[in-house]
Amino acid sequence: MSTQSDQSLTVADVMLTMDACPVADERTILKEVLEAMDKHRLGVVCIVDQGMHLTGILTEGDVRRKLLRVQKPLAALLADDVITHAVKSPISITADVQLMDALDLMGEKKIWDLPVVDADMKVVGMLHLHQAIRGVLDTLQQK
Amino acid sequence: MCRRDSKMTNKTIHLRSPHFDEIQIGNGKDLVLIAGPCALESHDHSMRMAEMIGGLCVKLGVRWIFKACYDKDCRSSPSSFHGLGLDDGLQILADVREAHGVPVSSDFSDPSWGPSTGEVCDMVQVPAYLCRQTSMLRAAAATGKPVHLKKGQFMSPWNMKNSCRKLEAFGNDQILLTDRGTFFGYNMLVNDMRCFPIMQETGYPVCYDATHSIQLPTSMGNISGGQREFIPHLTRAAAACGIEALFMEVHDNPPNAMSDANTVLDFKYLEVVLAQAKAMHEMRLELRAKWGEDNVHPE
Repeated sequence: MSTQSDQSLTVADVMLTMDACPVADERTILKEVLEAMDKHRLGVVCIVDQGMHLTGILTEGDVRRKLLRVQKPLAALLADDVITHAVKSPISITADVQLMDALDLMGEKKIWDLPVVDADMKVVGMLHLHQAIRGVLDTLQQK
Repeated sequence: MCRRDSKMTNKTIHLRSPHFDEIQIGNGKDLVLIAGPCALESHDHSMRMAEMIGGLCVKLGVRWIFKACYDKDCRSSPSSFHGLGLDDGLQILADVREAHGVPVSSDFSDPSWGPSTGEVCDMVQVPAYLCRQTSMLRAAAATGKPVHLKKGQFMSPWNMKNSCRKLEAFGNDQILLTDRGTFFGYNMLVNDMRCFPIMQETGYPVCYDATHSIQLPTSMGNISGGQREFIPHLTRAAAACGIEALFMEVHDNPPNAMSDANTVLDFKYLEVVLAQAKAMHEMRLELRAKWGEDNVHPE
């Protein structure tokens, strides 16, 4: 963990890197996306196009709401392309943003996860609330 | 932040050859008929059927594809007519195309028959029973011709996407998806009209097989029966639900047809069924132009 002060911590210091966060192509079926979320023990997945550009996000809450509202058979729901059920205008952030600013944004939007993108909107990681809080706490303990 | 419109793209199927003017299926183009006897019975009979159906299509202003099989590998009985075989059958299909300027199609039931079939046929058909067989889909894709893929009677419409993905992975994205009925218990098929919009979600055009849909599989012991009296009703319904091609097996003498005698449509009824399907298709396009795409979402 970074030894920088909380004021200088950036998203890049604490974000989950690509090997630790689930990313799925838009045309991946929902069943495989849920398996990826399970494997990564994370309740969110970034949806990307073939160029790795962020095009959507799907959370466990989105799936829960779909289960309550969509009346199609479960087998059909699981075979849907994930983009069909994704939030298609996700909030994202860049890696150079101050961590405290990112936390403010997460609090304001009431979200636990923020996709991290580069200037071309390509996904480079994920900011998860646990890691963000841990970064702040570690910094405070070092003071 | 979303970079791409997620609306499905409707793909158009192109049949091209020096033997005929290009035929396009999908994306709101004219309804295309795929028709012919179930099995190729003889050179003369094939020529006669092509002339009869072709003449009617000219009269009605419908583009069409001659379809007949050279090998019926899914017959209920080993003693049933199996077909004329690969070489003789493909020669007849080539002759039909040459003589009548019409694209031709046949199914094939063994991957090793794919190259020969694709060499002659302008569209290759994968039988419903084999619609998820990887080796068959690989062989169909490798022909480079549009692939007419029938939904298995045992398949859900949403799982046809898996077969499409296989064809795409093997390099072919010219796909026509057809509903030919779904098993409803033993010896019975039903048409679930939801099949059409669900399969359209793949982005590929959809087709209705009017004559196999009314089949009663193996209901007569060692052969299949059928209720062809329902062909007009179901065809109108399918046309209203968005099909872009209509498949029918047609015979000039059904009682003596060498395959599917209980389900083939008597040629004398083809005009009334096809004319209504064409009218329904055109009306649907008019309604879409006036009211837009169906957009009643589940939430």
